[in-house]
Amino acid sequence: MSGLESTITDFLKLTFLSMVPFVLASQGTMLSGRTGVFNVAQEGIMLVGASVGFLVSYITGSNLIGALVAMAAGGLFGLILAYFTTTLKMDQFVVGLALFFIGTGLSSLLPKLVIGVTLTPPLVKTLPEIPIPLLSQIPIIGPVLFKQNILVYFSILLSVFLWYMLYRTNMGLRMRSVGENPKASDALGINVSSNRYITSIIGGMLIGLAGAYLPMVYTGTFTDLMTKGRGWIAIALTFFGAWSPLPILFGSLFFAAIEVLSFRFQVGGSFIPYQFLSMLPYIATIVVMIFTFGKSRVPAFLGQNYDRERRTL
Amino acid sequence: MTQIRKFFPYLISVLAAFVVVGILLWVLGFNPLKAYQTILFTSFRTPNGFIQTLLKWIPLTLTALAFTVPLSSGKFNIGAEGQMLVGAIGAAAVGILFKDLPPALLLPLVILAGMLAGAFWGLIAAWLLYQFNINEILSTVLLNFISFALVDFVATGPWRDPAAGHPTTVPIGAGGFLPMLVKNPPLHSGIILAIIVAVAVYFFTSKTTSGYELVVTGANPRASKVHGINIRKMFLFSLVIGAAVAGLAGVIEVAGTHHRLIEGLHSNFPTLGLIIGLMARGKNQAVPFVAFFISILEVGGSAMQRTIMVPVQIVLIAEALILIFILLSDIIKRRQK
Amino acid sequence: MEQENVLLMQQVNKTFDKVIALSNVNFELKPKEILGLLGGNGAGKTTLMNILYGLYRADSGKVILKGQPVTILSPRDAIRHGIGMVHQHFLQINNYTVLENIILGSRVSRPLTANYSVEEAAIKELCERFGLEIDLSARVETLPMGTRQKVEILKALYRGVSILILDEPTTNLIPQEVDSLFETLKIMVREGLSIVFITHKLREVLSICDRITVLREGKNVISLTRKDASDEMLVRAMVGDKMDLEKSVMFTSREGTGAVSASQDVLHLEGVSMIDQQKIQELTDISFSIGSGEIFGVAGVAGNGQRELAEVVMGIQPVTSGKISFNDQEITTLNTKDRIAEGFVYVPEDRLADGFLNKASVAHNLILGYHNLEPYSRKGIINWKNVNESSRKMISEYNIKTTGPDEIGGNLSGGNIQRVMIARAFSQPSRLMIAHNPTRGLDIPSMDFVYQKLLEHASTGAGTLLISEDLDELLLISNRIAVMYRGKVVGILPREKFEKYEIGRLMSGYEQESK
Repeated sequence: MSGLESTITDFLKLTFLSMVPFVLASQGTMLSGRTGVFNVAQEGIMLVGASVGFLVSYITGSNLIGALVAMAAGGLFGLILAYFTTTLKMDQFVVGLALFFIGTGLSSLLPKLVIGVTLTPPLVKTLPEIPIPLLSQIPIIGPVLFKQNILVYFSILLSVFLWYMLYRTNMGLRMRSVGENPKASDALGINVSSNRYITSIIGGMLIGLAGAYLPMVYTGTFTDLMTKGRGWIAIALTFFGAWSPLPILFGSLFFAAIEVLSFRFQVGGSFIPYQFLSMLPYIATIVVMIFTFGKSRVPAFLGQNYDRERRTL
Repeated sequence: MTQIRKFFPYLISVLAAFVVVGILLWVLGFNPLKAYQTILFTSFRTPNGFIQTLLKWIPLTLTALAFTVPLSSGKFNIGAEGQMLVGAIGAAAVGILFKDLPPALLLPLVILAGMLAGAFWGLIAAWLLYQFNINEILSTVLLNFISFALVDFVATGPWRDPAAGHPTTVPIGAGGFLPMLVKNPPLHSGIILAIIVAVAVYFFTSKTTSGYELVVTGANPRASKVHGINIRKMFLFSLVIGAAVAGLAGVIEVAGTHHRLIEGLHSNFPTLGLIIGLMARGKNQAVPFVAFFISILEVGGSAMQRTIMVPVQIVLIAEALILIFILLSDIIKRRQK
Repeated sequence: MEQENVLLMQQVNKTFDKVIALSNVNFELKPKEILGLLGGNGAGKTTLMNILYGLYRADSGKVILKGQPVTILSPRDAIRHGIGMVHQHFLQINNYTVLENIILGSRVSRPLTANYSVEEAAIKELCERFGLEIDLSARVETLPMGTRQKVEILKALYRGVSILILDEPTTNLIPQEVDSLFETLKIMVREGLSIVFITHKLREVLSICDRITVLREGKNVISLTRKDASDEMLVRAMVGDKMDLEKSVMFTSREGTGAVSASQDVLHLEGVSMIDQQKIQELTDISFSIGSGEIFGVAGVAGNGQRELAEVVMGIQPVTSGKISFNDQEITTLNTKDRIAEGFVYVPEDRLADGFLNKASVAHNLILGYHNLEPYSRKGIINWKNVNESSRKMISEYNIKTTGPDEIGGNLSGGNIQRVMIARAFSQPSRLMIAHNPTRGLDIPSMDFVYQKLLEHASTGAGTLLISEDLDELLLISNRIAVMYRGKVVGILPREKFEKYEIGRLMSGYEQESK
């Protein structure tokens, strides 16, 4: 393979590798948002997922169990969000912020309690690549698309699955209607509450998994605040993807590319001070928002709680 | 008597949170009573403890107000962290560049520069909202991350203090130091600035026409717009004011406490400021009191970690629980009507 | 011959917070009849039917269907029992097609694909049977109101209902569409359904209903057949002795409003067009004048530019081209705040969303819009003493039930919230009032009160722009009526030429021959 070919291959491969937390967290945001629940706790939930996922992996020696427990933790946060907003009718932003604090605090507390302070950071095995026979031999595309870890495959399949579920099944038709007009859905016998609970819980699980990915794939260990804003960026990406599974997948890919590039330049050395390069992903997010906010088609009742007996004049 | 009855829900929330955390401590093998003793009384045991509490109160009150003022108009400013840091950068920059100026000139310049810098940082998010309708929660948070990089750049750049192990700048000129009120233990006059700001905010929102417009914009933006109020200007205005207040918190840390820009000087103040703002249910006048209570917990928490090895994150959990219980008690009150 | 009841509701009680909505109400529906449920706003008609449909839960009472007691706890139960409801504000998913809206929530033959051909065939058959013509693949947001209503009806028919409730169904229809609806209802009755027709309009009830039940303030007043009913009887039943019918505006025939003085034009619009932020042309070339003392009515089906017209006159939205003058002074670029200072008053149509502050105090609400003027404030500082004094005066004059100026607005009941907004609108001296659906949601005595206030206001020489989707209201008190269609004024009629069907034609887009 020529030098150019291998550079492109490495870059693309790394991009697909990096898009996973964004895809998972954004799809989780999108799912609950489609029924009207606007989750803003992603950063906290991802941190909990990372922390819990790492600790359980470390203790049990199995990444799979760690990931599952991280998903359960994320699902629990989703359940709490649903309960406080859908049942108790509290403001969604306020509940989301509170969960963000708790998640952040918990994620720092747990490692101290379980592992304490150590001289060298404890490590877990990182996720192995799973090459698909034959397909992975294709030049460039092979290693990029077919020689990745299992969660890369999962993210892509998940996106396709969500698209089909939302737009081609009766369940998806009902789910979307809850976010577009809960009163209309309710009047037709659709259970607004249970739809919101289900999407919040599953959404939380996906976000927890997104967090668990970070120690499992990048560093092999958990460090405080390691998400570095990816949770918040995921929200912007959801808008960028017009709250729709396939555009979100492509948006995440685009974003991961920027992240990889900025890191490349930081390491490779350039005349721009590295701190400014590290700002690139965040600035890119802002630029993305400039182009999509106000134009993105958002579920009509996003962020609004529904109360059947509330009367309007 | 009914006035006192209004505080019952808050009291009960605090007690309930303490009970839950007490159980958690006991399960983890610590002595809850000793822990609470340390948490609650460290502030009052020694003059130093009390001064430390006051010193923490300043940035906590200011960052909380940075959240509650925009909240009055319905906007969520999550960017106090970045605004405080940029305010600190502004203050340090002026303090270092003009370090030979006399106090009568340098101090006001430092304060002004810091507040303007913080206001500018908030203006970016406010402008993104005004012009492109970008949700301010997202923009302010992203700007926070950008400000971390900026601080790192400043603290490791041309003004770096080579003797320091941690990224820090050289000290600002002595003219920029906030005068001390008490020498030992050290209490600087930043506390006077903070009190002035808290009172000014209260006066503004309850007595002025612009304050009225701010409040009704938050209560119902559509209705306000229909009745002649320029709500988009209100949003912008409230975000910039909140950011300036956060900038002042940064100024005080530089000019009063450290006399230089230290990476990480914002500590957990902005996060706690948010929590305090939420606990105060957005009421500006309640903020100073809630902030004082949290200061006590924070001072006590650090002492608790030092003396009986309880991780300091427990205090954050307690604070988050208090917040949750307060929010819950709101629901219960609503249900009872 | 006494027929068996198909539906019986007994001793139904319902209280919301502190307000008693229904008190021991009884309700009977016979097979194959159209029953009119008549009463003013707040009488309890919609509440009663929402209970039947499972959207609300009664505090006590029984529901008996075809002789069997049933429990209905949600719309799903109601649908299962064969009860369907067409709400006043259609409950449709705007960006879904007609087909998707109809099958939403029901079982489909192929749930894991988007193939609805089986369902489509069934619906087409229903359309045949009931004489309804609709394009199933159209997105409902592109359809006119009358057609959207037919979609609502189809939703119920598709679920095989035997009882159909229609809540104020003629609200958004032009006279021609009302006729078409009545035809559809007659076909449905022939096919075996029973229909409950909720309305506050006497004319309708007397023209289409077989029997009439009147509610007032949450209680039964009278039930009778159409043969036995008369105008006066029904009015008395709806209003009781709350109103002096002799002095009322609604129930006395007036000699026509006084001639408008030909002197000054209070408001003059010339060639006004408006393109909004989404690049949609909302208003095109609007020109008209309102004279001193004139009530200028604007008719039209909702969504044809009425709100945009009101907002442009108030300065909430800027004009893209054209001129607006007020008393011969051009004000095209004047902002809302200054127009209010000049004497513009706006009563928006969605009063709760656009006119009320739930989380602020009653005093805050009463001064909204006037807060920066004397005597409420001076040099940027608010004089709360004056505010409270003024508020107390308004509270007593407009009969607002509240503990005082400091009470939080959200604590007030619906009727009192309306009174706050009426107080605010009429207690300031004004030279131009823009009222959009001012009586929507009000009970009959309050509606009459508003009409009296409007006439009083006109008699001071002020001008009124009365935008309303209630044609009867416009016919009652306007001097002239303009009709809007798709953002244009398609005709202006003077009082001598007021004729419902002509206006209906204009409302559906036919341009007037001679303006």
